[in-house]
Amino acid sequence: MIRFSDASVTAPGEDGGSRTILHPVTLELGEHRISVIGANGSGKSTLLKLINGLTLPTSGSVSVDGLDTARRGREVRRRVGFVFTDPLSQLVMPTGREDVELSLRGRIRRADERRAAGMRVLESYGIGHLADRSIYDLSGGERQLLAIAVVAAVEPAVLVADEPTTLLDLRNEQTIRAVLRGLPQQVLFTTHNLSFAQESDRTLVLDGGRVVFNGEPAEAVAFYQELCLR
Amino acid sequence: MRGHGQLLGLYVPGQSLLHRTPLALKALLCVGASTPVVLIRQPLTTAAGLVLFLLLMTVGARLPPRKVLGALVPALPVLALLALYSWFTRGPESAFVVPGGIAVCILAARLLTVTTPGQELLDGLVRLVRPLRRLGADPERFALALSIMVRSIPYLVGSLSDLRDAAKARGLQRSPRAVVVPVVVNAVAYAQATGQALAARGLGEHAEADDVDGADGSDADGRDGA
Repeated sequence: MIRFSDASVTAPGEDGGSRTILHPVTLELGEHRISVIGANGSGKSTLLKLINGLTLPTSGSVSVDGLDTARRGREVRRRVGFVFTDPLSQLVMPTGREDVELSLRGRIRRADERRAAGMRVLESYGIGHLADRSIYDLSGGERQLLAIAVVAAVEPAVLVADEPTTLLDLRNEQTIRAVLRGLPQQVLFTTHNLSFAQESDRTLVLDGGRVVFNGEPAEAVAFYQELCLR
Repeated sequence: MRGHGQLLGLYVPGQSLLHRTPLALKALLCVGASTPVVLIRQPLTTAAGLVLFLLLMTVGARLPPRKVLGALVPALPVLALLALYSWFTRGPESAFVVPGGIAVCILAARLLTVTTPGQELLDGLVRLVRPLRRLGADPERFALALSIMVRSIPYLVGSLSDLRDAAKARGLQRSPRAVVVPVVVNAVAYAQATGQALAARGLGEHAEADDVDGADGSDADGRDGA
């Protein structure tokens, strides 16, 4: 269970004051699939980054399974995997095999076992044949699949994905959507694709740093469309 | 972004003699054979070093000659400049010995990286710096930092090429500022993104960082809330 208790985020403003990125939000998120929609700069990414402690609330608190993200950051990050929009920001090793093995270093001490486990992970995502290819030589879809694989390799309880399909063509987008649908973890994702947003159990709509709708996906999408046309 | 992995080279899977040689032995061979070249600075030693490493890579690691020589291509402009400078300041002998010594070091480093999987290199580094644990060092962190540094080189080289093309497209190819400033900005952005990615994956975090009360609004890792 993810719990936001009056959590807000502010940043220093240009005039010396402070700028509110996310207004105080109180939420309990327990559904299997949760989507977050909203305009650019509405606070979607900040909301997601609060979940694994990448961003900490300026006031209030955020907890995952009872663990406060500010005080128990390391344990929270072990439970919450984060997939970035641009996989190149996320992949830190030259090849997929090395990156997935890096994820597994904390769990598997023996190098040969780690190597075999890493290969199994890549094969389960259908990218075993790309294991030794440079991450720069992969297509956008392959990179995003790899980014999901390296995060899911450590079996987090929650997977957070920030616009995972934004940089992809239609075919790759469908692949990533299918992969996210098939994950056993609780998945939270932001998207600008409204049909993708509806592949969830609950949708949050953000506007100007506020959660302005929180409920059933079809209703949320209708609300958001109306909001954009105002 | 283009891929520029040639300088240090990605691991090339294989079953050659050098692929099967233990990492410690390979590292000793590389350090042991390249150190005299750098220290002695005689044309004969430099030539011997170059021949030795070219042979090790083509025969010992069974790498195609094109791939072996390709390792030196990205460094050629710098080596050529060094050769020119050495020629004018110290004579023709230095023009061969100085860049030749650097070429030997590049080939030695590449020999290790192309015949050893990255994670094995990481494990080797961790073992190498383990004694420093007594002084408070974290070998895992050290090895991770070093491997990220190595991974960053091709990124930065690629960034430089892309920005050079962008400057050319805007007719600014003669303006160093049009390339240097965005390269620096990109490098900083890349460092921040990498840091964030590592934090998101919980990599390189100290175990003792947990449970530290961030009473002043900063978290256990010392990052700001925003």
